[in-house]
Amino acid sequence: MNEQAILEQVRDALAQIKVPGADEAGMETTWADLDVDSLDLVEVVRILEDHYGIQIIDEKLEGVESVGDAVRLIQSIAAEQEGVSA
Amino acid sequence: MVARDVVITGRGAVTSIGEGADRFLDALYERRSGIADGLGPCAEFDPEVAMTPKEARRSDRFTHLAVAAAEQAVAEAGLPDGIEPERFGVLMGSAVGGLETLERECRSWLEKGDRGVSPLFVTMMMPNAAAGTIAMRLNARGPGFSVASACATGAHAIGEAARMVARGEADVVVAGGTEATLNGLTIAAFKSLGALSKAGISRPFDARRDGFVMGEGAGALILESEEHAKARGVPIRGRVVGYGASNDAFHITEPDREGRGATAAMVNALRDAEAQPGDVGYVNAHGTSTPYNDKVETLALHAVFNGGAPPVSSTKSAIGHLLGAAGAVEAVAALGAIERGLLPPTINYEEPDPECDLDYVPDGPREAPDLKLALSNSFGFGGQNACLAIGAA
Repeated sequence: MNEQAILEQVRDALAQIKVPGADEAGMETTWADLDVDSLDLVEVVRILEDHYGIQIIDEKLEGVESVGDAVRLIQSIAAEQEGVSA
Repeated sequence: MVARDVVITGRGAVTSIGEGADRFLDALYERRSGIADGLGPCAEFDPEVAMTPKEARRSDRFTHLAVAAAEQAVAEAGLPDGIEPERFGVLMGSAVGGLETLERECRSWLEKGDRGVSPLFVTMMMPNAAAGTIAMRLNARGPGFSVASACATGAHAIGEAARMVARGEADVVVAGGTEATLNGLTIAAFKSLGALSKAGISRPFDARRDGFVMGEGAGALILESEEHAKARGVPIRGRVVGYGASNDAFHITEPDREGRGATAAMVNALRDAEAQPGDVGYVNAHGTSTPYNDKVETLALHAVFNGGAPPVSSTKSAIGHLLGAAGAVEAVAALGAIERGLLPPTINYEEPDPECDLDYVPDGPREAPDLKLALSNSFGFGGQNACLAIGAA
């Protein structure tokens, strides 16, 4: 999946929960930069799971500290799931 | 332990007739009504005046209203500068919490299953969310929780907070009540119970009264030890000089037929204030506009004042019943009556009821320049009663 397209989705998820600066977030932007806390993250994950039809287990979220980390995680999960279904 | 004197240094109110304590009082004295189509919504309230869009999205309307009232009160009191966070408490009650959120999430759950339930549901609905949010915003790290005693919540919160200050557990407490239940589910629930006015008119003590009108809003007071307020050099607006609580222990919705619980709450408040009935110049009644409450409250007032009751009026005539916020907003009204030397009216009162035979200030506002002590009554479903004795500065 295209990195830029996923980035747009992550930004959109952040905007949906009204995180200030969501629209300008880039791959290097961290949750700390955006003041995203654990409760925000639960919501963002929920929105992205629904959008991509994937499941992101909590263990996978360890070390996910930035927008770029989230984009790469979605890419890898989507690739795994495509592999399974193929 | 020496009890410390408890003074009031800040006020906040969000109501259907005005935001801010003074705007609310002005409207009350102008005899304005916030009731339209049988409800009293805070139609012009914008949560994002006090909160960021993200904060507002993460909390229920009852928290939005409480935060706005608390911010007004702390601003008036010149806080939070000059207070130790550990000595700063928050006691903000709600009768039922975020029922608007509950309704929305139930609907979403039934439509979409477990995935349809928001991760924010619990933290938005829980009745202590308002108290917790206020504490976070103000860095108030002293005692904090919410109380729930239905329609007596706001008064219990202020009374218990006053005790907290008097006992020395905190120097300053933000105390009050908040409620936002003008949603379909809750309106249907009170309608089903037969508690709401079919006419959609709040007319306490009037012979034609036929139930209460639901309103929404929040009220907050800054309660502070006198020495702390004096050390900060802030104006003292009034005092919580007494607080009385009681149980009817009779019925889950109906008041005790002889008003024994209501009487006990007032007697306890007067004893706590070391005052005599004759010292009281005004009573802000619970006055819901239900047939039972107003009759029984009148009986209780006769019992307490032994035929010599002072003027009594009901703020609910103007803004409806704010449930858990009622006692707090009405404490703001009682304090306003003392500060301005002016009794607020009971509006919509036209037809006297032989069973409600006191002076309800139907012609108000009325001058009361010598008013030094007022009572504010609140009686809740569950039979739980609270009475605040508010004194002049």
